[in-house]
Amino acid sequence: MRICISILGLLFFTFSYAQENRTTFGLFPEASLSYKLLKNYSITHKFESQHGFYDSENLNEELEYEHTLTDLQTFIGRRITPFIKVDIGYQYRIERGENTHRTIQQVSILQRESHFRIGHRMRIDQTFFNNASLLFRARYRLKGQIPLQGESLDNGENYLSVSNELIYMIQSGEDDLENRLTAALGFYIDDKNKFEIGLDYRTDDYLVKDRFRHRIWLKFGYYKTL
Amino acid sequence: MSNYLRLLFIVFSVTYGIAQEKNEVEKRVKKDDIPNLAKEWLEEAFKQDRKTKWYYQTDGEKYVYEAKLKKNKHLHSVEFDMEGKVKNVEIKIKENEIKQEAYQTIFNYFKSNYTRYSLKKIQIQYTGESDDLENLIVENEMKNLVINYEIEYYGKTDKDNTLWEGLFDAEGRLIEKRVINLKLTDNLDY
Repeated sequence: MRICISILGLLFFTFSYAQENRTTFGLFPEASLSYKLLKNYSITHKFESQHGFYDSENLNEELEYEHTLTDLQTFIGRRITPFIKVDIGYQYRIERGENTHRTIQQVSILQRESHFRIGHRMRIDQTFFNNASLLFRARYRLKGQIPLQGESLDNGENYLSVSNELIYMIQSGEDDLENRLTAALGFYIDDKNKFEIGLDYRTDDYLVKDRFRHRIWLKFGYYKTL
Repeated sequence: MSNYLRLLFIVFSVTYGIAQEKNEVEKRVKKDDIPNLAKEWLEEAFKQDRKTKWYYQTDGEKYVYEAKLKKNKHLHSVEFDMEGKVKNVEIKIKENEIKQEAYQTIFNYFKSNYTRYSLKKIQIQYTGESDDLENLIVENEMKNLVINYEIEYYGKTDKDNTLWEGLFDAEGRLIEKRVINLKLTDNLDY
């Protein structure tokens, strides 16, 4: 519980600091549906959507609602060992201006410890635009899942989920970095149904002068497996 | 927005209802909830007051309390029945701590059955009467105790790619094995 409070405190501290920079705040629902295809193959469909309510740059201080974007993703995954999985995926993004296509390749590695488990995810993706050159990104995410009752997660118990992802991106010879830190409370309904609610704090434009940006999302996600 | 929330709430409530039927449970419990008999045995055997975590476990058929504590840098798990009578002691060990008489046979089994394998967790398991288990902890005396090895391992064959839990006897012969189904990783992968 103390860890929960510290992380939330840190996020709120960052939020108040972030007021001085370009900052946005919004809601971020997401849901995924996975099912087996063949013995070691599986399909995952994922929906995620960002809805902005505050943007310090646009002086949207009256909490005006704005649909930021919606992503529709599909992955085909192959489990190589009980601990390693590879996926290829496709994403269609619905966004004001231009809808985009993205191809995704990833490797996920599960690390088990006696009191928690960690998922390592290495991902590269390529985004295609009509009138701009290809955006290439390389990402590494570390996500920990810590049971809050006992050593292993049983049905109906809760867990703490903490993750950080570092993203390197390059487009037309210009590169940049993005960081995504999340802390969430997870509800382990059973292995095939998990619900997570928490904060997702994103910072980007590290390498672009005077454009450093903070984005804070209240994120809630449902993970369903058939 | 409210439609999203409503939908999530409905899915959440329906599945939560179904989930209650499963009965495999491991829960942290307070020391006060543990039968005195168990606490007395533990104090007697491990002498000084060590930092102990207590758990309650059930698979629907068997109900036990388990104490987890460290001694000589080794993690000990001590299992008690619901009345507090000690049942067995499991000690987490490294590969090179497997006793000589079992080592060769265990590794022969791995080499002849799998093209690739790796050991993930090894526990030596001592089962016996209270006094004999106490002698094990106090004097490292193994008289009258049944010794088994519980080994969690990953084994690859031409057809299979599985995580197993194998139970081997004191001479290293396989008694039984079962598949370990890891929890889904959808929330870690996507």
